[in-house]
Amino acid sequence: MCQTLCPEGCVHEDEEGFFDPDYSFCKGCGICAAECPKEAITMKQEEK
Amino acid sequence: MMEITEGSHAVAEAVRLCRPQVVSAYPITPQTHIVEALADFVANGTLDAEYITVENELSALSACVGASAAGSRAYSATTSQGLALMFEVCFNAAGMRLPIVMSIANRAMGAPLSIWNDQQDSISLRDSGWLQFYAEDNQEATDLHYIAYRVSEDPAVLLPSFVCFDGFILSHTYEPVDTLSQEDVDKYLPKFAPPERLDAKDPVSFGMYATPEYYLEFRYETDRALKGAKDVIAKAGKEFEALFGRDYSAPVEGYSLDDAETVIVAMGSICGTVKDAIDEMRAEGKKVGLLKIRVFRPFPTEEVAMFLKRAKRVAVLDKNISLGAKGATVLEVKDALYGSAIPVKGYILGLGGRDVRKRVIREIVSLVEKGQGDQFIGLRKEVL
Amino acid sequence: MACKTCELFDSGHRACGGCGAALAARLVTKAAGTDTIVVSSTGCMEVFSTPYPETAWKVPWIHSLFENAAAVASGIEAALKKQGRKEKIVIMAGDGATFDIGMICISGAFERGHDFTYICYDNEAYMNTGIQRSGATPYDASTTTSPAGSHSFGNKRPKKDMPAILAAHGAPYVATASIAYPADLMQKVEKAINTPGPCYVQVHAPCCTGWGFEGDQTIAIAKLAIETGLWVNFEMLDGKITRAKKVVRKPVTEYLKTQKRFRHLLSQNSRMRKLLPYRQWQTGTPRSTGSISNSRKNERINHFFRGFPFYLYHQDGNMILQHDLS
Repeated sequence: MCQTLCPEGCVHEDEEGFFDPDYSFCKGCGICAAECPKEAITMKQEEK
Repeated sequence: MMEITEGSHAVAEAVRLCRPQVVSAYPITPQTHIVEALADFVANGTLDAEYITVENELSALSACVGASAAGSRAYSATTSQGLALMFEVCFNAAGMRLPIVMSIANRAMGAPLSIWNDQQDSISLRDSGWLQFYAEDNQEATDLHYIAYRVSEDPAVLLPSFVCFDGFILSHTYEPVDTLSQEDVDKYLPKFAPPERLDAKDPVSFGMYATPEYYLEFRYETDRALKGAKDVIAKAGKEFEALFGRDYSAPVEGYSLDDAETVIVAMGSICGTVKDAIDEMRAEGKKVGLLKIRVFRPFPTEEVAMFLKRAKRVAVLDKNISLGAKGATVLEVKDALYGSAIPVKGYILGLGGRDVRKRVIREIVSLVEKGQGDQFIGLRKEVL
Repeated sequence: MACKTCELFDSGHRACGGCGAALAARLVTKAAGTDTIVVSSTGCMEVFSTPYPETAWKVPWIHSLFENAAAVASGIEAALKKQGRKEKIVIMAGDGATFDIGMICISGAFERGHDFTYICYDNEAYMNTGIQRSGATPYDASTTTSPAGSHSFGNKRPKKDMPAILAAHGAPYVATASIAYPADLMQKVEKAINTPGPCYVQVHAPCCTGWGFEGDQTIAIAKLAIETGLWVNFEMLDGKITRAKKVVRKPVTEYLKTQKRFRHLLSQNSRMRKLLPYRQWQTGTPRSTGSISNSRKNERINHFFRGFPFYLYHQDGNMILQHDLS
């Protein structure tokens, strides 16, 4: 779901079947976290 | 093959022989006979093209942009109000380096509405990046289409072209024209093979947006290509002469220029009248000559300077006016002669189809001999 | 052919975080596949996807001007026909380019029946130039050229019914979709691409920056639009509605309160509350318009729900197709 709904298309499946964002393209919008039915993603604000 | 034919039909036939794959045009007087003839050719199988009956001129040129970007030779025709309506598409096509050829049956700009000839329409787009060719007669109007496609599609140019010829005066007049055969044109004009096109096998992006870090360079490159077109025209024109006997290599043409003291500079069908007037004046011993401009963009600054350097005075005829300033041609000629002491005077005439007779040309020669100029010619005081 | 695993709209584009249009571009290109030529009009998507020298598009792409995508596509279609090529043409244009400035070109292209798919990503205003109202801006929405103020409730006109207009042109397939339902969106886009002739899909693409909500709520708000009946997902074949997503409508205020562009309608300002018939919206029991006595209030409610064919309307909270009523 997160992979489908990411506006950047930067969420990729790794070899173990987990989905991770490519942090060089992630804008931190939080849609993945908001939409995950398992609430498996949490957003954490980067240090200022 | 020599035949007496209407200007529009001669042009349509020339376009047919150029084998455009997409024709997209909106009818407007006095270009209508061209687009009607082309529709006829398609309907009867003598032109193998997709003919798009667009709903306005903006769409006409936009469809050509799409077709050309997709790799097909595209053609349109318009004039006056129609050309003005596609103003932004003209800049867009040149900026995207798409070698579209468009016939302009020159017509005055409204308001007030006029269907008759002057050159304001194409002149007003001289900044757009399109090459501009101006025909003196229907033979030139015809030939310049082959030249235009050949030059536009040259990889060193890749810029669109206007082929301009005076509306009604040329488009609706019957003149003898030598039309080429299909084999002739196929020999001269190779198949359209752009370096890039819209193709799923090799995706590229056309028409992106450029920030201030990049825009200037795009404009420089486009200007360089347009200025460089002069050399491509020279080569293409010489080849045309070798094959068909008519030389289009030079952007200007002199008539009775060798020892001329008074030189008239003019563009388009008016040159025919000027030549006749010159013949008369020469018979009376007056040393008058004509410098005809056939390529207005890129402007032949060097050639104009060279051909005018021995003149004692120059009279520039403009069938257009940059309102609030002067005619477009006189400004360019003055620029070409900057630094010389030769007096240059401009004359605005023939606007909105006002007829220009030989006696008007003679009047202008008298005016320039007296040092008078930079005025409208033939104003009807009773109308003012 | 669709390519669900392809990413033909690459990361690194400059869209705002949480952009609905960016997601729409990703989903549409997946549904379209590699054998596609995309024509974009000027707007957010064109600008954030192609800052020279970078491009997010992995399919051939062209941008000409704001209003002429349909005309450019007409020319490409003609060229492909003459060259015997099979690529599909997909136009991606915003609501500004589609509903307003592009009307002439779209009408002409649809009337001529060219074979292409026109996707309108509808973020309901001219977003790229700074959130000005368009013909797609909903009634009472606050934009920079239709701002809410002491003398205004915001946008004075209902949403233009673009699907009906294009169906009237004889478009064989017209649909609306939303990024909230990506599988449905991709299915519709694929169907449009595989239907010969000019097809149209209007995709609801909420804009966090323009509508005033946090970027992570984009999908949630797109869903709410449908659940409150302010966006309707439907399909039309040859001008007749064949499928529509039925919902049991939630109170409209649930959608309105999430976005800054509507918050003026729910403010504590007593003048606003007196003038607007919100009671039935708040209780969640919308009545058919006949039961409201004040005809001006009728108008306001009707306007609020316009923008989709009148074949669909609400009764007792349910969305029904007109033919069901008979």
